[in-house]
Amino acid sequence: MPRPQQNIIQLTIDGRECRAVEGTMLVDAARANDIEIPYFCYEPKLGNPVGACRMCLVEIEGIPKLQTSCSTPVKDGMVVHTQTERVHHAQNAIVEFLLVNHPLDCPVCDKGGECPLQDITFGWGLGRSRFIEPKRHFEKPLALSPLIAIDRERCILCYRCVRFSQEVAEDYQLIFTERAADTFVGTHNGHPYVAPFSGNIIELCPVGALTSRPYRFRARPWDIEGAGGICTLCPSQCNVEFTVRDEKVMRVRARDAPGAPAGGGPVGHPDVDDGWLCDKGRFAYQAIHVDERITQPLVRDGGSLRPVSWERALDAAAGLARHRGAVGALVGGQATNEEGFLLQRLMREALHSSDIDSGVGEAVAPELLRALAAPALQATVPDIEFAHTVLVIGCEPLDDAPIFDLRIRKGVRRRGVRLVVASARPSALDPNAGLIRRHEPGGEAAFLAGLDRALASADGADPDFTELAGYLREGGEDLVIIWGERCLDEPALRALLSIVDRLGLADREGAGLLEIPAGANGRGLREAGATPGMGPGFAAITSAGLGADPGAVGRPGPGRGARQIALAAANGDITALYLFQTDPLRDQPDRALWDRALSGAGLVVAHAAVLTEGLAEHANVIFPAESHAEKEGTVVHPDGRLQRLRTAIAHPGGVRSGWWVIAELAKHAGVDTGVLTSPMAFKQLVAAVPFYGDLTLEEIGGRGVRWQERSAASQFPTAGDAAAGVGSGPIPAPPPAPGSAVATGNGTLRLGTYRPIWAAPEVEISPALKFTVAHQQVELAPEDAHRLGIASGEAVEVSQNGTALKAIAHVRTGVQAGTAFLADGIAVESANAFTEPVIEVHKR
Amino acid sequence: MKILFDRIDEPGLNTLEVYERRGGYESLRKALTMAPDEVLQQISDSSIRGRGGAGFRMGQKASFLPHGNMDKYLVCNADESEPGTFKDRELMQKSPHMLIEGILIASWAAEISRAFIYIRGEYDHQADILEAAIAEARDAGYIGEKILGSDHTISLVLHRGAGAYICGEETGLLDSLEGKRGNPRLKPPFPAIEGLYHGPTLINNVETLATVPHIIRMGGKEYAQIGTETSTGTKLVSVSGDVQRPGNYEIELGMPSREIIYGLAGGPFEGREIKFWFPGGSSSPVLTAADLDLPYDFDSMAKAGSMLGSGAIIVVDDSHTILEVMHKLVKFYAHESCGKCVPCREGTRWTLRMVQRIQAGEATPMDLDIMASVQEQIIGNCLCVLGDAMAMPVGSMVAKFRPELEAEIEAARERAEGAEMADVIPVGVADEHAGPYPVH
Repeated sequence: MPRPQQNIIQLTIDGRECRAVEGTMLVDAARANDIEIPYFCYEPKLGNPVGACRMCLVEIEGIPKLQTSCSTPVKDGMVVHTQTERVHHAQNAIVEFLLVNHPLDCPVCDKGGECPLQDITFGWGLGRSRFIEPKRHFEKPLALSPLIAIDRERCILCYRCVRFSQEVAEDYQLIFTERAADTFVGTHNGHPYVAPFSGNIIELCPVGALTSRPYRFRARPWDIEGAGGICTLCPSQCNVEFTVRDEKVMRVRARDAPGAPAGGGPVGHPDVDDGWLCDKGRFAYQAIHVDERITQPLVRDGGSLRPVSWERALDAAAGLARHRGAVGALVGGQATNEEGFLLQRLMREALHSSDIDSGVGEAVAPELLRALAAPALQATVPDIEFAHTVLVIGCEPLDDAPIFDLRIRKGVRRRGVRLVVASARPSALDPNAGLIRRHEPGGEAAFLAGLDRALASADGADPDFTELAGYLREGGEDLVIIWGERCLDEPALRALLSIVDRLGLADREGAGLLEIPAGANGRGLREAGATPGMGPGFAAITSAGLGADPGAVGRPGPGRGARQIALAAANGDITALYLFQTDPLRDQPDRALWDRALSGAGLVVAHAAVLTEGLAEHANVIFPAESHAEKEGTVVHPDGRLQRLRTAIAHPGGVRSGWWVIAELAKHAGVDTGVLTSPMAFKQLVAAVPFYGDLTLEEIGGRGVRWQERSAASQFPTAGDAAAGVGSGPIPAPPPAPGSAVATGNGTLRLGTYRPIWAAPEVEISPALKFTVAHQQVELAPEDAHRLGIASGEAVEVSQNGTALKAIAHVRTGVQAGTAFLADGIAVESANAFTEPVIEVHKR
Repeated sequence: MKILFDRIDEPGLNTLEVYERRGGYESLRKALTMAPDEVLQQISDSSIRGRGGAGFRMGQKASFLPHGNMDKYLVCNADESEPGTFKDRELMQKSPHMLIEGILIASWAAEISRAFIYIRGEYDHQADILEAAIAEARDAGYIGEKILGSDHTISLVLHRGAGAYICGEETGLLDSLEGKRGNPRLKPPFPAIEGLYHGPTLINNVETLATVPHIIRMGGKEYAQIGTETSTGTKLVSVSGDVQRPGNYEIELGMPSREIIYGLAGGPFEGREIKFWFPGGSSSPVLTAADLDLPYDFDSMAKAGSMLGSGAIIVVDDSHTILEVMHKLVKFYAHESCGKCVPCREGTRWTLRMVQRIQAGEATPMDLDIMASVQEQIIGNCLCVLGDAMAMPVGSMVAKFRPELEAEIEAARERAEGAEMADVIPVGVADEHAGPYPVH
């Protein structure tokens, strides 16, 4: 769908000739011309204006009544007055009315000092009140949820929070109850407002009615500083602002655009987050300042981990050099590009090993990854909103990249995007989808191959797929496919490439692929070379290209992926493991294998902020890892936008920078990386990645830059596309997904897994988020639950080959009969204990 | 002259049989032989103005609907909630088929295939009658696919409201009908462009729609001969309050008001005098005995600073204090405000508190200035007209009866002081700069 065309028109505001985009609301047009009109309820991010607060009334020539400028689109030749007696009278009136029932408890209000109501009262009010009647009273404050306190006396009923719940997050929980001056915001039956995006209403609130419970009374606006950063807790990579007081992060908010209006919610970054954050990103900052955080180096000594000096820890880790040629490294998604780049240098140049991976499970052929990352195929986040059709395959945006979920909803609701959800598990986006396709768990490859055949009009195409192919084509050419790294294996990706080719998405503006990588910086780490078979910039690894020491021994071929590393470690081929901000027992499938791998490794060196199970049991050296508020470096958004992480707070305790540790270890192993600061590492990275051109940190700046939009993008390596299978005939049908042939019955069900939004160590140790911590629950189809005699909420045991997990049954409509879903990546009873595709479920 | 109320009390008129015997549904048959545009032209020619309160020309409103094949809706506003108004109730109760026929013709004129009647929940009895009539009409083939062999397909659904004045406001009604909280919407877009379920929607009052069969029967130009030039036709007037014969009367628009109140409704009770009267429901600014000779039509009422509104005349005689009436009125609007926009939500409640304070003897005449000013701050600044509906009559009462109100304030204070020496006047009330000192 083409972006709407923008016509510039002329209008007169307060006697000044102003230019504005036709159709923008008058209030925005005025602001763009440096004329401020106050408002409370207007918030374009929430959809159509409601015109409830009446603060933005202005006089328009030719219209007898005052008009709300928030709901009046500008027209050519319009003559507007914002400073007449009539307008002032109306503004004074509205301020007076608003304060009639407002408690004016500003001295004890968290919002005081950063409150639009205060600012507008000061700027547009009369500074007095004639109201001497008793004010409206409510019990206060009340817990709207464990995260949000509500003070109904302060509420000016501006509709923002209710509209957010109803029209943006679409959780439909917040409503108005009662009417007239007794109206108040609440939920149905007073149920707590618990939803993945609930915290946004705190920011939207123009008064102190909705406050953050973790932040309540922690600081006043004049005590704090704002520091821009990037949230690296998921691939959405939202632009955040850390509120810092005394080197401590006190809260996290969406980062505002420069020059954003004081009255509104944050504008955010329209190409990244649209000004929204999920509750994980908003509240998991608490993990930075809790006792559970590792803040000094630990070394295993006599069976247990003990805090030691940095010298001792580095010495212990330097033992990696003794395992030269037999070291495997895993890089977690929170690593920066610089850390990934230096780590692959450490591995390849100093430790003579190419076994480094930032992905999960089986590695995917390098040429395939390279083909998928081609700039010509890349869709952007705003493309989701303006596409004709969006296909979601192999991911649950709400869990895997929550802000994408909101963007998809926005596209469907406001711009009529046609949505196709193809997944094994019922999706939160199902109600918004025009077409829903359910396949078996692990059946992504078969699904995509089927679609590919239908698109090729090959013989024997399934009518279901023919319908889908028609649906994808008939809406228009701009098609965005959002796919998840975690679920799509090599055959699936080959089919995906073929589909892209058949739909002609290459080089089409506003169409293409958007990956949700398994790790937050999955894309950046791949581009930095922290992946098997490819160096920085997707360069093919040749035996001669490994750096300063070409004669070094023990160097294996192009390198192994995560699963092969585990197998090698389990059988003794790999004897040391380097775990950079990842715990494979949590982040990787096949827990038993990794357990063996970790036990088998002679040396396990890790960077971690939280002592998770795998590290507590197996790590020999643990370096304290930085949080995203402390790191300096860059990350790459799934759509190719390089973004900067900046140091918002000083390192707590003995934490040191990740890049420094890696550089030190390289030095210990005899290679001087020449890196003394993070920007130096960035410089090396840019030099090593041709398609980054001569990118500088200054150019990335505060808003980031997509490398695909720079001329250097033409340097992207194209060789290997043919090898990836693009342009060949229809993809042959892959063998049926394992387990699909297994007869289900007697409690045997096909297993699917998903990673809940809350499955993160940071969430588990954040006091405010403890209530969200995911306990294992098995999602069952109503038919199966009935057959097994299991009801929702009952304790069950899920087992497979003698391995058993405890879970709570959750009977969910929409789950296909014969399948069950378990959460992965959670602290206890995680689904990665299972390797086989079928499980049994019994009452406990 | 009786059109709508012609033999309205005939037993069994609510049944199809009697209605048809009297020539019912003949106008529909006639209309279906005409092109929709011709039907619309007849309605436009009649110059009939909306009977619900706003007085907008029906023909013009219907012509705003886009042409062509799309989901368009007709909604009959039967949420007759304006205090003092009870004309639609009698019409629906006694001649439901007249309304149904009007809806069917109007929907043909605007090429609409889905119609709703939104009736207030309290009209349970009338809703039952309408439901039975709709069933009868459906069985007789007047409602449904290609009715009477024409191209017109129409469905008609009766929806009962849950009891809110604001749902009589057309956009609040639409939200309520859609299953949402009944709050008025921002206009534009007007319902004719984007109304029910985002489709173009024609919304008319019961009385307006019930007149449509008569316009088709008589011809629009003929109908326009009745009444005055700008207020054509007859109007149902609900007269209530301090009169000897309250009730619904059908009048030709332009009839002197005195003739309605004294002639038809019998005038005030023995020994009483009319103090003031609402010409068009409780939301119209009050008129006094001096205005009784005004012709009762849209323009004359507007010229006198009030409005014809829904045609509900409420007469108040000298046995009532102005404050008593004001309290009742303000309490109603403060209770019925939907709470969406600030001036109405806060202004109505504030006014109520002030009236209550006056009654409690805790006010001074200066409070009347504040009250007048608050009304002024409400008028024209609200999202819909509910705020104005309180502010305009209250403002007119303060303006026209200030001496009496001042006397009542004094009397109330004396009463209160007699009862107890209370700290009745909070510090600073008499001072215009109550509250924080202005910074200059």
